[in-house]
Amino acid sequence: MSYRRKQIVIAYALLLPAIIYFTIFFFGPIAVELWASFYSGQPMVGESSFIGLGNYTRALSDALVHRSLSATMIYSFGSTILTICFALLFAAVLAGPTKANNTVRAILFFPYIVSFVIGGLMWRAILDPFTGILNAALISLNLPTQSWLADPDAAIWVLVFVSSWKDIGYATLIYIAAIQGIPGHLYDAARVDGARPTDQMRDITLPLLMPTTLFLAVTLGISSLQELALPYLMTGGGPANSTRLYSLHVYETAFQDLNLGYSSALSFLMFLFILLVTFLQFRLLHRDIRHV
Amino acid sequence: MYDRSRDRVPLWLRISIGALLVIAVFLAMLPFLYMVSLSLQSDADLFSGEVVVIPEQPQWLNYITIWEEAPFARFILNSFVIAGAISFLHVVFDPLIGYVFAKMQFPGRRIMFAALLSTLMLPFFIRLVPLYILTAEVGLLNTYTGLILPFAMSGFGIFLMRQFILPIPDDLLDAARVDGGGELRVFWDIVLPQLYPAIATLALLTFVFQFNEFLWPLVVVSSEQMRPITTGLTLFNQEYFTRWNLTAVGGMLMFIPCLLLFLFAQRFFIRSVMLSGMK
Repeated sequence: MSYRRKQIVIAYALLLPAIIYFTIFFFGPIAVELWASFYSGQPMVGESSFIGLGNYTRALSDALVHRSLSATMIYSFGSTILTICFALLFAAVLAGPTKANNTVRAILFFPYIVSFVIGGLMWRAILDPFTGILNAALISLNLPTQSWLADPDAAIWVLVFVSSWKDIGYATLIYIAAIQGIPGHLYDAARVDGARPTDQMRDITLPLLMPTTLFLAVTLGISSLQELALPYLMTGGGPANSTRLYSLHVYETAFQDLNLGYSSALSFLMFLFILLVTFLQFRLLHRDIRHV
Repeated sequence: MYDRSRDRVPLWLRISIGALLVIAVFLAMLPFLYMVSLSLQSDADLFSGEVVVIPEQPQWLNYITIWEEAPFARFILNSFVIAGAISFLHVVFDPLIGYVFAKMQFPGRRIMFAALLSTLMLPFFIRLVPLYILTAEVGLLNTYTGLILPFAMSGFGIFLMRQFILPIPDDLLDAARVDGGGELRVFWDIVLPQLYPAIATLALLTFVFQFNEFLWPLVVVSSEQMRPITTGLTLFNQEYFTRWNLTAVGGMLMFIPCLLLFLFAQRFFIRSVMLSGMK
């Protein structure tokens, strides 16, 4: 056997576990899900009948799906934008390698590595109308108390806040890494030309951070599109379905209503949506790199 | 003329950013500080309606009661077994597969790599229902195997390893190949020693990520004994709805290993995240 031949055989032999793994756990399930999305009832396990695109047309006119989609959009855009704005600001201040900066960075980053279960439950404990420390503090200051988690207009913003609380430190670190990669001579030249620090921020730092911003927007955006733990732990989707995020809705459709065909169609719609977002991101990113 | 005063950020801006940072640091720590406080409160403290920071009589007994109320030792053990096994599998598989993609020539490489990258975009919950049914069909609900197997490899890990292997010069590998070393020998003797920091990064990030995994155990575990601590905590929370003090004790038991790991490897942690974000 020639050397080249041999290398090909070895390569495939080494890849075999990965091929099997990704077929069983990634591509297989997605194919099965696409198939199941054309059935009503419980395809794969129980009684079901073929209904073609019925599940998809049903999703388009399902008020609960619309409700969960709009909640997911508020959550996703809200938390991504909030996180990016504050992370950028903090990174600009904390990029220098001083000891105090390192400590602040570490503290801001810490919520990111602790489970959302702890973060979500403890914020709920703080906001608890009867036993929480926030209302106790408001009472002692003679201010009106809150019950935001029971308020259909406010609850989703609490989730946005907690999501950003978790991610800001992470995004700050990513920005700092990017800022440290900007060549120092650009700033030297700007200073000689009399640019203020705020000018430098606007004309050098921000434009050069564009790819990082896009990277963060897409990774944070996609991960927030699939958030389930936070509404599950903090609100259970309520009040009045105002925090019923899409993945929670899919989860309950599948595992509480046992409506497997319909939940497959809902999952697959999200799959298509994320493909679209990813595709747009690549387009944007490439255009941007060409411009810089 | 170069004017030095222009080189300074205006005072009002510095003060407001400083104030903002102080608030941010306070909010970042608040839930954890409150958890410590809550875990030592009595029910009376909870319902007193007053701000209790340090309870007058710290209820250390809460830390004993919890072991009787739910099998917390088992939850913690489960979390370590699951996250540890998954990290181990990643460390075994991801570097080798990353090497194949980075340094070996074979037909279908481009398309297979594209397929691998596509898995990075796929949210887990999209595969949730079919994976659940598969796991149920082969009888792996409520087992470690069922909890571990779906995460045995990751597109992210393989991609990360490939990025670290790419810069290793091909001449170095070819020299070893000419000397009669097989591909595995080349990988083991030349590539692997240069990957240790990257592998440590992979192991750490995987461990933390899996330690915090919530959705999959929520779905495949129904027995109390097999819960990891993430869903174990919710079981407790639902049963004792307003008993925040005991929930906080459970949270502390989950939190302390994370805190120790973070304090012990803080710099490494931060470097890992920065690296994985840039690659």
